Amino acid sequence: MEVSHSVKERTIAENSLVILLQGLHGHVTTVDLRDESTATGRITNVDAFMNVRLSEVTFTDRQGTVSHLDELFITGRNVRYVHIPDEVDIRATIERQLQAIHRIRYFGGRDKGRKEFPRARH
Amino acid sequence: SRLSWLDNSGLGFSLDYPTISLHAVSRDLNAYPWEHLYVMVNAKFEEEDAKEAPMAEGEEEEDSDDDIEPIAEFRFVPSDKSALEAMFSAMCECQALHPDPEDEDSDNDYEGEEYDVEAHELGQGDIPSFYTYEEGLSHLTAEGQATLERLEGMLAQSVSSQYNMAGVRTEDSVREFEDGMEVDIAPAVAGQFEDAEVDH
Repeated sequence: MEVSHSVKERTIAENSLVILLQGLHGHVTTVDLRDESTATGRITNVDAFMNVRLSEVTFTDRQGTVSHLDELFITGRNVRYVHIPDEVDIRATIERQLQAIHRIRYFGGRDKGRKEFPRARH
Repeated sequence: SRLSWLDNSGLGFSLDYPTISLHAVSRDLNAYPWEHLYVMVNAKFEEEDAKEAPMAEGEEEEDSDDDIEPIAEFRFVPSDKSALEAMFSAMCECQALHPDPEDEDSDNDYEGEEYDVEAHELGQGDIPSFYTYEEGLSHLTAEGQATLERLEGMLAQSVSSQYNMAGVRTEDSVREFEDGMEVDIAPAVAGQFEDAEVDH
């Protein structure tokens, strides 16, 4: 399970469906691009801006020419669709990703351990 | 902030990251005779530009349909093909630093207080409970930066000698500090740690 190192990206992911795409790491699927080309490959990473990184890719450009790419990075702006594989349980994936984010957030526990900054006194 | 390609003589050209639609590593020698970094750019390149930019190790193709977005394709063939992975990864990181400014579809404006779930739940306002390394560095004050450098220096010294424990002065470690570096245990600012919470 990969969760971003950035607080900003975690916030964005938690508040949008990109979190579902981030749960697809390791799955093989097809991404349709804005210009109607498609890329089928194994998802290596999806960030909060929907930039998608794939490996072992079959890329079909808008003219229909097929090529094979070892690795492909698609700018989020150019993504039209990401196909969700049939075997993926969408709800479970989202919940798993949220749990991963919360594990990072509450690392050390809320009330245990030394806090870097003192908690505000209520 | 820009992708630049230069040949040995220093001639080259640059691409702006926001114009790059995608990039890839291609090792399929059936499609193209050399392993290369493929970059698709959302822009038009005129014939005149193509002449000015040296094409010793690159190739440019133009798609000139008017009613469809113009695209240009670049294939960068490095003289050392083992550099392709690093080139690809570097571009991925740079692209992540250039999110789409024209993004209207998704509301990425999460700067408001109501989105700072972490801070609210932990009662700390705009101070997060901890930073991971990357994001923490940019939040260091000048004093924090100095402290970090000092601590890292201490660690570097201690790693080099098996008799040292990090930060602890033993007889041997004193010798290594003879160049004048003082290990200052006291806080730089009086009372700096007074209000620290220590939970046992």
